[in-house]
Amino acid sequence: MRVVIAEDSVLLREGLTRLLTDRGHEVVAGVGDGEALIKTITELDAQGSLPDVVVADVRMPPTHTDEGVRAAVQLRKAHPGLGVLVLSQYVEERYATELLAGSSRGVGYLLKDRVAEVREFVDAVVRVAQGGTALDPEVVAQLLGRSRKQDVLAGLTPREREVLGLMAEGRTNSAIARQLVVSDGAVEKHVSNIFLKLGLSQSDGDHRRVLAVLTYLNS
Amino acid sequence: MTERQPSSHRATRAAGAAPYDEEEPLPPARFAYDRHTWKEILHLLLNLPVSLFGFTYVVTLLSVGAGLTVTVVGFPLLALGLMGARQLGKLERRRARRLLGVRVDEPSPLRLRGSRNGFFPQLWLLLKDPVGWRTVLYEFIRLPWGILTFTVTLASLFVLWPVLPFLARGMANLDRAMVRGLLSPSDDLERRIAELESDRGVVVDTAAADLRRIERDLHDGAQARLVNLAMGLGLAKEKLLEDPEYAAAMVEEAHGEVKLALQELRDLARGIHPAVLTDRGLDAALSSVASRCTVPVKVTVDLDERPAAAIEGIAYFTVSELLQNVSKHSMARSASVDVWRANDRLLLQVWDDGRGGARLDGGTGMQGLAERLGAVDGLFVIDSPEGGPTTVTAELPWRDRVPERG
Amino acid sequence: MAMEYGQGYGLDVPERHRLPAGLRAPFEARHWRELIYVLIGLPISIVLFTYSVTMVSLGAGLLVTFLGIPVMAAGLAGCRGFGALERARARGLLDLEVADPEPLRIRKQGFLAWMGAVLKSGASWRALLYSVLHLPWATFSFTVAVTFWSIGWGLLTYPLWFWLFPLYGGQDGMQLYGDETHSVYLDNAFEITVTALVGLLFTLATPWIVRALTTVDRLLVHGLLGPSRLATRVVELESDRGVVVDTAAADLRRIERDLHDGAQARLVALAMDLGLAKEKLAEDPQAAARMVDEAHGEVKIALQELRDLARGIHPAVLTDRGLDAALSSVASRCTVPVEVQVDLDERPVPAIEGIAYFTVSELLQNISKHSRATWAAVDVWRVENRLMLQVVDNGVGGADTTAGSGLAGLTERLDAVDGILVVDSPVGGPTRITAELPWRTV
Repeated sequence: MRVVIAEDSVLLREGLTRLLTDRGHEVVAGVGDGEALIKTITELDAQGSLPDVVVADVRMPPTHTDEGVRAAVQLRKAHPGLGVLVLSQYVEERYATELLAGSSRGVGYLLKDRVAEVREFVDAVVRVAQGGTALDPEVVAQLLGRSRKQDVLAGLTPREREVLGLMAEGRTNSAIARQLVVSDGAVEKHVSNIFLKLGLSQSDGDHRRVLAVLTYLNS
Repeated sequence: MTERQPSSHRATRAAGAAPYDEEEPLPPARFAYDRHTWKEILHLLLNLPVSLFGFTYVVTLLSVGAGLTVTVVGFPLLALGLMGARQLGKLERRRARRLLGVRVDEPSPLRLRGSRNGFFPQLWLLLKDPVGWRTVLYEFIRLPWGILTFTVTLASLFVLWPVLPFLARGMANLDRAMVRGLLSPSDDLERRIAELESDRGVVVDTAAADLRRIERDLHDGAQARLVNLAMGLGLAKEKLLEDPEYAAAMVEEAHGEVKLALQELRDLARGIHPAVLTDRGLDAALSSVASRCTVPVKVTVDLDERPAAAIEGIAYFTVSELLQNVSKHSMARSASVDVWRANDRLLLQVWDDGRGGARLDGGTGMQGLAERLGAVDGLFVIDSPEGGPTTVTAELPWRDRVPERG
Repeated sequence: MAMEYGQGYGLDVPERHRLPAGLRAPFEARHWRELIYVLIGLPISIVLFTYSVTMVSLGAGLLVTFLGIPVMAAGLAGCRGFGALERARARGLLDLEVADPEPLRIRKQGFLAWMGAVLKSGASWRALLYSVLHLPWATFSFTVAVTFWSIGWGLLTYPLWFWLFPLYGGQDGMQLYGDETHSVYLDNAFEITVTALVGLLFTLATPWIVRALTTVDRLLVHGLLGPSRLATRVVELESDRGVVVDTAAADLRRIERDLHDGAQARLVALAMDLGLAKEKLAEDPQAAARMVDEAHGEVKIALQELRDLARGIHPAVLTDRGLDAALSSVASRCTVPVEVQVDLDERPVPAIEGIAYFTVSELLQNISKHSRATWAAVDVWRVENRLMLQVVDNGVGGADTTAGSGLAGLTERLDAVDGILVVDSPVGGPTRITAELPWRTV
């Protein structure tokens, strides 16, 4: 897997590079701000060697505001095949909504804390690179809390709510089963129950399922 | 009530001058005729023609205007006359500025194009203009005085010339008093309100900016370091049993990292508000700042009690920024900090024997300090000739400490 | 002001009197104090008037010779002194609290500076105006009060006089009317009763008339001897600025304490764990693994804490995207579903935005904690040069701004920047809290 990292803290950039290299991935480039990121990707694209995934920080120079989110949105529009994982010290559902606008294919938004769990973090990067979704549990909690469908959500069992959250994070049924230490079949049952209660039609493909759930929560 | 209430804009302007008076102090009167004396004499001689004109003007104005008030035309006439009187006052202020060295702020112009439009409100505004009326009063009492000064000065020029400098100084002082008393602005309160409103704005804005800065520092400093640390530990945890060598290196690194993170947090916390200041007050806190300065600093804090927490904080940050400047720019070999109280003011003085030349607009944060102090009715005065030494004096209003809630 | 006037009307006395207020009034201490006020008002105002008019006209006459200025200043200073006396008299006899006017603003030591300050002070001239205006009014009210009072008591006690001095003036009773041809004397029982009744009416009416008279005095004292509107505003702003400075300093101390007690403490523990792990790595890998594991948990919590702290200091999304995004984010953290509606064309200055954000976020916290609401809404909009915030919930209500509550602190903070907080929260709900902030743009 080929990765481009955009992160203004040299320390973290090197840390991430080491971590990903250690897991056998190739870090093609490391940049320090949003403009450089877009430039690098454009150049790589011109050479015909677009990376699989971009890992970008939110707050970068020169404005130190939401550089990363804006660059990510722009990249997603320009290169639909490119996976974009946004990392940040804080997560905001507003940014999640902007990143997910239109499609949840190959997009991720995680707290920086998540790098502490190395395996899960690398899994998330791979998932995004392969066109999946990786949303931070905090974002999902915010989306659930903000949703206007509170009465419907209240009708879910605690376990179903848990599964719904994990679904929204972008996990596959087998990943959910691993996480909750239950069988795949049990997860499938929960999932179909949830879809029934929310009035959604079962869709195949994990990322389309994520989108359905998120759209439901956001409407 | 003898409280001084210097305005903030004056405070920032006062760099290099004596602390409390923006006018240059006059040299003492001497037997020899110097530039000041000649100016004073000129002023006293001019008094006659000027006051003759002024007197005629206001007497005509008053008698015609007042006389015609029975008919309606009197009021607009009077209003016009008062506008004219304002102009006379302006000329007189200029003359006093040139010849007597008196600096009186210009009164605020009448806001005729304000919200209250219409002929009669404007007329009323003009008629009750206190500046105009005080100028009328000024011109009215000036004629006898003008005659007196003219005669005495002219006569003394021929007869009493050795003592004329003293006489002139005495009479000119009375002139100064009259200008200050009658031609100064009359909207002190309005100005004070405007100043306080802007002060409050400055305080609110700097407080908000402080918070944003702290958040930024946390984000870029400790938080980033901890993320890296967490990553390292995550790796170490996985490899601990399979690759102990690698894990050991990771743990070693994480250990170094956590110490750095702690250091950063400590510095940040100190920059926010040092704990020792809360616990022990200025003396201990300033000694601690001084010990981190590259130049040996002698700290003397002479306070019987502690001021209000906010004032203490401002005093601390002022001194600590000044000492930073000393470290960075002054090339000094020694410095001293003095803190004491005079009545209802807290005074800070930072002295160094460096190369001097510090200025408010020198881009060393002095401007910001002066603004921050000005916003709480403080004063900031720099005395720093080229070649040094530099003395920076800051003054803050003293407020007593109230026990903190909670 | 209305409240000041309302004090002591008997409205705030909870116990019930046997007599109705109308009959009681002539004997109440309050009435007597007011009467004394009116009676001594006349001599005082005569002295005051004579003094001030003499001094000021003397001063004005002497102005041409300069001597007038000190005379005038002395006259005005005297008026100020009398003003203080009058305020004390009103305080003692009318229960009227009027604050001292703005003090003289003397810039330098010395007589000249003092003179200038006296002459320039608006309060001096208002005191002069009072001393001039008060004489005619004092004369009038003295006459009216004395007339009513003496007629009232005189006629009311007429039966007594009739009985004590039956042959006063050689006639039976008081002569009501008389000329050469015939006269009317009040001498039979009916006439005596009617006279006494008229006296009673006058006596009962006197307290109300005296009260009406002193109302004008109150207005005069309040309007001319109190601090001017501008001076009050100066005092208010000075205190505002103090509050703002203090809260800013307190904020910083709180952040420092949070850092110290939270992240810093946790990092120390972490450093210790790691130090131990380092030692044990070679000899006891199992124990070392446990230590590293602990440290790993520790660092995750530290990060969480720092993130919460940073959000409490200033949420990044507020700086980046403004109120709409930041408030949606707060709302999504609230335990109650919250509808957020921000209707702004542009962004206010960061300071105002910050205050607005923290106000709403504190109100939403209150809703989570105390209201037991199932629904809430936040509205933000702009009206001319004010930024309006409104937070509504359908909870139990009963929120108030009494001292010590979180709302009191919020009110104080808003007040310090010329903001307003209005709480409408009947017991049983719903609660509607509206805040107003001055709008400023960069």
